Amino acid sequence: MSEPLAHSDTPDDDVIRLTGVNRTFDSDPPVHALRDVDLAVRRGEHLSIVGPSGSGKSTLLNTLGLLDRPSSGAYWLDGVETATLTDRQRTSLRGSRIGFVFQAFHLLPYRTVEENVMLAEIYRKTRPGRDRRSRAKRARAALDRVGLSQRHGFRPDRLSGGERQRVAIARALMSDPALLLCDEPTGNLDSENTFSVLELFDELCAQGMTLVVITHDEAVSRRANRRVRISDGQLSQEIV
Amino acid sequence: MKFRHRTAAPEPDPDPEPAESSQEQPNRPERSRRPRQRSAERRGTKGVERPWIDPRDLWAEALSGVLARPVRSALTTLGTVLGIGTLVITIGVASTAANQIVGRFDALTATSVTVVVPPPPPSSDTAPLVDWPGVDAVDRLAGVETSAALAESDDTSALQVRANDVITPGVLSSQTLAVVAASPSLPAAVRGDILVGRFYDTGDIARHDRVAVLGDQAARLLGIKEVDDAPAVFFNGHSFTVIGILGGFKREQRLSTSVILPPTTAKDRVGLDEVSRVLVNTSLGAAQQVARQAPVALAPNSAGALTVLSPPDLSKARKGVQGDVNGLFLVLGLVSLIVGAIGIANVTLVTVMERVGEIGLRRALGASRRQVAGQFLTESTTIGLLGGVIGAALGMVVVVSVSAIRDWTPVLDARLALGAPVAGAVVGLLAGVYPALRASRLEPVEALRAPS
Ligand SMILES: Nc1ncnc2c1ncn2[C@@H]1O[C@H](COP(=O)(O)OP(=O)(O)O)[C@@H](O)[C@H]1O
Ligand SMILES: [Mg+2]
Repeated sequence: MSEPLAHSDTPDDDVIRLTGVNRTFDSDPPVHALRDVDLAVRRGEHLSIVGPSGSGKSTLLNTLGLLDRPSSGAYWLDGVETATLTDRQRTSLRGSRIGFVFQAFHLLPYRTVEENVMLAEIYRKTRPGRDRRSRAKRARAALDRVGLSQRHGFRPDRLSGGERQRVAIARALMSDPALLLCDEPTGNLDSENTFSVLELFDELCAQGMTLVVITHDEAVSRRANRRVRISDGQLSQEIV
Repeated sequence: MKFRHRTAAPEPDPDPEPAESSQEQPNRPERSRRPRQRSAERRGTKGVERPWIDPRDLWAEALSGVLARPVRSALTTLGTVLGIGTLVITIGVASTAANQIVGRFDALTATSVTVVVPPPPPSSDTAPLVDWPGVDAVDRLAGVETSAALAESDDTSALQVRANDVITPGVLSSQTLAVVAASPSLPAAVRGDILVGRFYDTGDIARHDRVAVLGDQAARLLGIKEVDDAPAVFFNGHSFTVIGILGGFKREQRLSTSVILPPTTAKDRVGLDEVSRVLVNTSLGAAQQVARQAPVALAPNSAGALTVLSPPDLSKARKGVQGDVNGLFLVLGLVSLIVGAIGIANVTLVTVMERVGEIGLRRALGASRRQVAGQFLTESTTIGLLGGVIGAALGMVVVVSVSAIRDWTPVLDARLALGAPVAGAVVGLLAGVYPALRASRLEPVEALRAPS
């Protein structure tokens, strides 16, 4: 527990750096969901955050995903200090640097698997080599990475839970993010499907993807190369 | 208590979008926000793009949103279909009817002027009010195209007329017909056609020839079809050679059952001398003026004794028709449109509420508030446009059908055909404003809690 949670030696290599982050909700009574959180995640790292329900895991993930602002403290994402960004800037930073994987999958039921994956790219200016015409091809490649390229024309309701989550992961990969944020990605899955998703995480990690996986499941967190525990809004390091 | 005194507070940015989680933001110091904001932007924007969406993608997203619930979308268009349809029908039928009325006036009434000459008082030797050569004065009036004088009298309105060759022996081919005298310009004046033979000319008149032209109905009654073998008709003890048959009367249709004689012959043989009517055809728009001038031209000293029959003023008639038809139905159409707009707003709002999870997802994928609002605005506009197109199409079908039934020429303004769908789209756009604002105001964190 003495080792610092933030690495200060090579800040440029940090995809995430939180220092002294607090988040309070002005509800009645006020909730102090994050308390003085310091956290750094290196590029290519697979970090898991474990903690019981209500400990602040989702609040932390929403903060990391720029879906929520910390009440105080500093957050550097991929070298950009986010506290001073406007709403629009945070939105586009979120779209370009972060891939989300949610417990509830959040696939659009009325679109095909491929269209769901392509959705990740429409809110950004086209970049060189990533024009609209080749978008379907890139979606297939992303589906290929999660082993679902033959399912591209299906609607999500014809897929198993594990397949749906893999589609969601393909969508997150589509925008070529610096960071994959997963909030209880296996929370809705049975053990078999959980296993397939975890295998996929291992593969992605081996390919150099930075992963932050939030879970209350010890079995899931054991896959990570680093684990931190959150309880009552406070982080503590766990040695694996 | 760290969170109470943040140092690098993000500002209510110049961007119109409200800050995320704004209701949960602690109070921030108000001082010196501008300089800090600018420097922060310079640092922060390094490597940060602005949200952007290709219009084709926006359109594709909106369209798939509309098509995801096809039945609902179709039902939602109904109000707009009704509203736009009513407006198109109202305006279309009104202008078609107005055109029709005006068209009828144009063809017949609008250019027809009739001067009625009263019969002279009995047993007086005064000169007739209008004599045959005097009718030529009308032709010299500006705007007169053709004219003809006509003499009719009660004595000659029902004569027993017989054809010479009795085709079926034993059948009396005697008919009760009117005998009239007319100027040689009569065919043009009644806009009729010489069906057979010829009309008499000034030579026939000058020679007092005993010739006659039959109206087509009179010829049929008398069993005369051809004039090559010079058939004759008999009445008042005289015989007249039939030289032609006149048909296709557009005015003075009763002449089709009459025997028409040259004025000189008529005076000699049946005592028909006084001009009783002068038929005038004017160019378009000249009728009113000709109607005023004709009596003076015909009878300079007793113009007041003549009666003039002239068409009503056209411009007033046209306006009257359009005004009558439009008023009520326009209101009806506009009410339907408002109802349609409320329907679209309502359904779009329901759709937004059902798709909260989707909105959260789109925000997580990098959609800005404006892009979310834009999607729902595009969806409601699409529904309105669809309603406008269907309504305009249905309306035009109705206008064309009504025209076909009434034997009218449909008048469909291109501005109406193009404007109606645009009006539908505008209705959809306006209806989408509130739901789109609601969608864009959703906080991503809250929205993501809803199932997608
Ligand atoms: N919008 C909110 N308003 C008030 N309290 C909240 C809000 N969101 C979360 N909380 C509270 O913050 C704490 C942490 O919540 P959360 O991060 O969702 O926990 P976890 O994901 O670990 O279950 C909980 O006590 C929760 O009730
Ligand atoms: Mg949670």
